[in-house]
Amino acid sequence: MRHDFLDRYSRLRSPVHRLPAPLKLATALVLVVVVVLLPPEGRSFLGAVAVFLLAVAGLSRIPWRFLVLRLMLLEPFVLGVAILALFQPGGGRLFLFLVAKCTLCLLIMVLLSNTTPFAELLRVLKAVRVPALLVTTLSLMYRYLFVLVDEAQRMRRARMSRTFTTQRTPAWHALATVVSQLFIRTTERAERIYGAMCARGWR
Amino acid sequence: MNAAIEVRDLHYRYGEGTPALRGVSFSVAEGECVGLVGPNGAGKSTLLLHLNGLLPESWEGPRSVFVGGSPVQPDTLPEIRRKVGLLFQDPNDQLFCPTVFEDVAFGPGQFGLDAEETRKRVTQALARAGLAGFDARAPHHLSAGEKRRVCLAGVLACDPSILVLDEPTSSLDPRGRRELKELLRRIPITKLIATHDLELVVELCSRVVVLDAGAIVAEGPTVELLSDEDLMLRHHLERPHILRHLHPH
Amino acid sequence: MHIPDGFLDSKTAVATGVLAATGLSVALRQARVHLPPRRVPLLGLAAAFVFAAQMINFPVAGGTSGHLVGGVLAAVLLGPSPAVVVVSAVLIVQCLMFADGGLSALGANILNMGVLGAVGGWAIYFAVSRMVKGLFGCVLAAAFAAWCSTVLGSIACAGELAVSGTVGWTVVLPAMAGIHMFIGVGEGFITALVLVAIARARPELLQPQAPVASTRSYGAVLIYGGLIALGLALFASPFASSWPDGLDRTAEALGFREKTANPLLPAPLPDYRMPGMHWSVLSTSLAGGVGTIVVFVLAWLLARVLVPKANRIEEAGPPRSP
Repeated sequence: MRHDFLDRYSRLRSPVHRLPAPLKLATALVLVVVVVLLPPEGRSFLGAVAVFLLAVAGLSRIPWRFLVLRLMLLEPFVLGVAILALFQPGGGRLFLFLVAKCTLCLLIMVLLSNTTPFAELLRVLKAVRVPALLVTTLSLMYRYLFVLVDEAQRMRRARMSRTFTTQRTPAWHALATVVSQLFIRTTERAERIYGAMCARGWR
Repeated sequence: MNAAIEVRDLHYRYGEGTPALRGVSFSVAEGECVGLVGPNGAGKSTLLLHLNGLLPESWEGPRSVFVGGSPVQPDTLPEIRRKVGLLFQDPNDQLFCPTVFEDVAFGPGQFGLDAEETRKRVTQALARAGLAGFDARAPHHLSAGEKRRVCLAGVLACDPSILVLDEPTSSLDPRGRRELKELLRRIPITKLIATHDLELVVELCSRVVVLDAGAIVAEGPTVELLSDEDLMLRHHLERPHILRHLHPH
Repeated sequence: MHIPDGFLDSKTAVATGVLAATGLSVALRQARVHLPPRRVPLLGLAAAFVFAAQMINFPVAGGTSGHLVGGVLAAVLLGPSPAVVVVSAVLIVQCLMFADGGLSALGANILNMGVLGAVGGWAIYFAVSRMVKGLFGCVLAAAFAAWCSTVLGSIACAGELAVSGTVGWTVVLPAMAGIHMFIGVGEGFITALVLVAIARARPELLQPQAPVASTRSYGAVLIYGGLIALGLALFASPFASSWPDGLDRTAEALGFREKTANPLLPAPLPDYRMPGMHWSVLSTSLAGGVGTIVVFVLAWLLARVLVPKANRIEEAGPPRSP
């Protein structure tokens, strides 16, 4: 399985993708705050937000199927917690309102992340003076999560092809070995990266 | 005239284990392209890491590595690292920034160049590596060959006088290998290439050094040495195909 | 346990945001001061590792699968402050890149899983592994601490949801804590298995560098402790029924909440005033207490199984300081 399934659409060409990252991030933030703070009387405003987001989604040329699938992937937790809201007076209305707000916010973030390369978001963070150590950590994490996910998948496949039982305990043991090996390789890779950074003058 | 690289009686061991390098001595002249060959575990990578001071971890004793006449030691490291461009074996270890531009700009930035100068360097380096227009690309979307060339551009952007390469053609497909080979051919600076790709050594290097079990076992003109079947087999190498039809005079 | 947008009201989002930002700044400062330069890239790489490890599915009964969260694992392997940075980085990337966890809930998520989960879990690990020596003690401590951190985080999450008025406290606490008491078992189990595997392959990774006396920063300990206490007190104490009202009034005064807005619930939570609720909280707490003891025993048994007798004699060395 290729790892680029994790970041396939952030570099498409579309009017939305071309917008500057700070604008998109700020808009997303404002929209999320507004939607979250909206009282139940403001229900109709949610509709306006939804229309806006659907327009943006259309303009962005991100495949609808992908958007729907991502939302469906994220919905279960929303529903799971929202269901607890049913256990109180007026719960049904509250539940629907909650789910609507959450889903819209999910859509906002999905659109943001798929129209903005993470590298640009990092640049915004750097510009607003987020501590350098955190930015470096985020930068390296983003760069290497694809590499490590790939490695993990490969190791897992290699391991599972040598596991001839479907019993749970041996499978867990094999998977734990994969995770431990991944960590060990990660520490070794981190050392090599440190060497590569020093080789080009890092201090 | 100082040799570009001079190694004098270099010893190294990892922790309390067996010695990785046992009294290695050789030199590379200005403008030369020298190949470093040997079986796995011979110590090639370990040797290369000494050339820009990433090894040793502690600096007691006489200096063993000299670049352009100056000893490689803690106070000369910044200048040495600018002069010696080291290309690592796994481009994933060396390409650590989120975009190609940022990664190639890393070196110049660390060496104190301003934004304008850095941008110029990056553009030039990418063009030299055949990657013009790749500025905004993300590393995880690149092929192995492209990643390698980005690493090379990143090293070239520091304007080195010596290129040291560790297995530059490993895991490249034939086209990637060809492109890299042509690229290296076009770069006239001093080069030291550690590799298993003996055909590459024949095509690019005038001289070759054979390392086995931490010591140099042979040194001399490429064609002559690599045609010596006995020598090659003795050190777990083999005569490259390209030389099978050549008769050494 | 990532809280999505829309479940927390403004006062809770802001309060958790402030606490999380404080915790994260402290962690960053600690890491900057105490982490040797050669380990700086490890923070980013470890964050990538945690992310990749979270994607590995461990099959559980009935077609479902569990996965590692990794906060305590990171804390044991890297130290508490680096672990906070690592977990926060994972949460930030998950939020910004994958919409996993809301933007307005980022503070709460970092507080629950980073500060409470990683630091709180580490503190428990530190305490237990000090009392029981060797690899056995390390595995026991890590398994138990991983369970605790899962449950702690879920309690805080439940509290935050309740204080926001989204869900009733009597509903959400048993639900959240109950489910996570089971999920936590998996977390503890996987953490233990992974640590044992690392110990077998590269034991030196489990031996943190012996902390020099001067690097032990009591300031950081105080701040972390304070944050954890404050976080739990604000969001996880059902007995402080005046808190939501107190916070509400503060929020109104500060302008976070529109004075004319209708509360999400039509009336002040009647639950707090009913005597029956106290009983249900008591029974939940009792169940929690019993569960904790049971899990500790399970962790002990697990460590016995995983760590052969011969290895139990060796010293694991002093765990890291914050």
